[in-house]
Amino acid sequence: MSLSETLLPVAVLLPLGAATLMLALAHWLPPRLPKIVAIFVALAVCAICLGLAHASLDGPVRHWFGGWTPDAAHRPGVVLGIGFQADPASAALAAFCGLMFSASFVFAWGYFDTEHAHFHVLMLLFLAAMVGFCLTRDLFNLFVWFELMSIAAFALTAYPLGRSALEGAFTFTVTNALASFLMLAGTGLLYARTGTFDFATMGEAVARTGSDPVLTGGFVLVAAALLTKAAILPFHLWLADAHAVAPSPVSVIFSGAMVSLGLFGLAKLVAQVFSGSADVTGLVHGLLHGLGLATALVAGVMAFAQRHLKRLLAFSTISHLGIMLTALSAGTDTATAGLLLYILGHGLTKGALFMVAGTLLSLRQSADEIVLYGQGRGLWAPALAMIGGGLLLGGLPLGLMHGATGLIERSASAPAQAITTLATALTGAAILRAAARIFLRASGVPGPELLAPTEREHEKPDRPVWLMAFPALALVALALVPPGAALPFLGAATARLHDPSAPPLALPEGGSVNLVPLGLTAALFALALLRRRALHRPARAVTRAERAGFRALQALHSGLVGDYVTWMAVGLALFALASAL
Amino acid sequence: MTPRWRLLLLALALLVLAPAVLRVALTLPAFGAPTAALGQTVNALAPELRHVANMVAAVNFDLRGIDTLGEECMLLCAVTGATVLLRGARGEHDTARAGRLPGRPVTPRADATVLVCRIFATLTLMVGLSVALHGMTTPGGGFQGGVIAASGLLLLYLGEGYAGWRALVPPPVLVALEGGGALLFVLCAGLPLLAGHPALQNRLPLGEFRDLYSGGLMVLVNAAVALSVAGSFGLLLVEFLEETREAGDDPISDEEDR
Repeated sequence: MSLSETLLPVAVLLPLGAATLMLALAHWLPPRLPKIVAIFVALAVCAICLGLAHASLDGPVRHWFGGWTPDAAHRPGVVLGIGFQADPASAALAAFCGLMFSASFVFAWGYFDTEHAHFHVLMLLFLAAMVGFCLTRDLFNLFVWFELMSIAAFALTAYPLGRSALEGAFTFTVTNALASFLMLAGTGLLYARTGTFDFATMGEAVARTGSDPVLTGGFVLVAAALLTKAAILPFHLWLADAHAVAPSPVSVIFSGAMVSLGLFGLAKLVAQVFSGSADVTGLVHGLLHGLGLATALVAGVMAFAQRHLKRLLAFSTISHLGIMLTALSAGTDTATAGLLLYILGHGLTKGALFMVAGTLLSLRQSADEIVLYGQGRGLWAPALAMIGGGLLLGGLPLGLMHGATGLIERSASAPAQAITTLATALTGAAILRAAARIFLRASGVPGPELLAPTEREHEKPDRPVWLMAFPALALVALALVPPGAALPFLGAATARLHDPSAPPLALPEGGSVNLVPLGLTAALFALALLRRRALHRPARAVTRAERAGFRALQALHSGLVGDYVTWMAVGLALFALASAL
Repeated sequence: MTPRWRLLLLALALLVLAPAVLRVALTLPAFGAPTAALGQTVNALAPELRHVANMVAAVNFDLRGIDTLGEECMLLCAVTGATVLLRGARGEHDTARAGRLPGRPVTPRADATVLVCRIFATLTLMVGLSVALHGMTTPGGGFQGGVIAASGLLLLYLGEGYAGWRALVPPPVLVALEGGGALLFVLCAGLPLLAGHPALQNRLPLGEFRDLYSGGLMVLVNAAVALSVAGSFGLLLVEFLEETREAGDDPISDEEDR
């Protein structure tokens, strides 16, 4: 075995080993040690996966556990064991997860001092699950890591133990546990028809079978589970509740890496397993495209109408996930490349923004932009990170996200482009508005955000501001890297996601600089800041209508788990309708 | 949404889903009709290649061992999460002593109860050990054996009361068992890599077919799972039965300071 083949399982075994060792010795470890170990393990995972990404440029790196290679059974189509496979995209994403975890561990230094290493044990298990999710090539194994990811996330969400944290964790647990059931059922259906779990073998079987309700049903169930994780309308309702209440270092991981992994998993399955099924590709191009646009728009409007910073960021995450889903559903090579780049750019930016929210929670005891009005003076580093993050989300023509948007828009229709641009501008303007209120004391009269739910809460003020600002600024700086440098790698990654032996793709060099999103962001931002009290009759009527509209939208996000499950059923029904038509 | 609207919407969604579900169910392979090639292959090959009689063990601990490692970590993760949440409300530092509500009466146990519980707890532990040890030859194995062994602890609780029970099985030991068992599994997976073999490769002598110690590395993995599961379930019981709350008591405030 070559070195990279040996290192492939280590990327998962290392965090698992560190977590179990720390748990076993939890009672006797000095309190600082788990934090240091966690940072180094996350960095090591990042380094290993970067090495794998580099090595896989020469062809996929595979590792068959227990030596059970596909030919071990000497029967064609029967794969006894489980394989990991690093293609450039998967390995790069796993490395990205390692990077986000190390940034989050630095940010969380001191936050969890009183605990017996439990936080770090849960986080390392979480990391291992995410890396396994990226690297596996076995559907059941994918389910196992999906489930481990969910369980670690449930516990971490409830960690602050306040009422809202427990409620958020409860809806998160119910909806995502349901998603796990769906995924298991879907895996069962796919196995019943194809007789294997291995992606490549299953893909061959799917292409042989052709049109078949069992395969389509299996895909729909697995896709619904992944879309629940990725918070796509109407499966998205849990996300804002959970991300808003989780401890900030955990929200960084949730919004930065976990949710977009759901979409990456879906993209990988569509490319490697279902590319031969016309029914499934029809669903992807049709229904998923529509759902993506609806998600981007609805969540963008919701983000604009929030006042609680973490809730605002959570809705903006949903909105950007919608944009990513439109890229996934377009299915062209440039759009897929855009999706991969967007996951990185958005994850870095959103991670930094959640760190700013956490900084405010611990230094100013609130995350409510109206309560915090003018309270952010003197915190120039977080302010810089927040304004930078807001501009990046709002379409600043620099950095990874802009490059990704350019790639995605190459294959998008004009109406779709208009919707994603509007969604981008709404989220960017919302963040900039909050930043202006908190750090610059600039504000118009609050609009519909006054109606949004908020929460009195705070986090422990136990670490210096530079320690919290440094990882945030570092992430923003990484998000500002010019995308041109990544294009050759991205071309190879995109081509190999579909076919491990494909030649690298030549991606178009940076397109024209598109200033429309940034202009729209600035316009919406100005609108929010120049807003004055409605004194005249027509202005009042407009305000009333606006309030009624937003109130109806807020009412859909009721926080009641029964509603959320009902909407999930509606989502499945949409899939049933779309595949029947 | 009012409950009425919610039910209406749900009913509508289910109505739309029903024909799709029916269609899938009717096109599924008929019950028991064509047996899966994968299962047949395992049945045909595993006794010869791994010398074990229990095919489920062969799949769980060897062929798809990495799945089992993931599942094992899932259990560990769930128990750790439950521990954090249950301990959080009463503070984590007091784990050395059994917490209890002042003034809550301790029901005295009859001698007969104590005796019967001690006898049966021992027997349950033995059954658990036996089920775990016979994992390679008969249905059962580390997971089931670990659960049975841990459930014997409940009988001890019944006999000894919470404080005595907890002194008998201290939580740090249970945690060490839980984490140590899982670590042993990780090592079983990782150590073959050092010798240049694939992870989890079964390089140990395989033993005799139908022997208690057949299966090579599987015996070790089985033991690791048994230890970890026994520790996990034991810890879960200790945490759940901590007597610090009254029924209907809600100690969690909105402004929990963590």
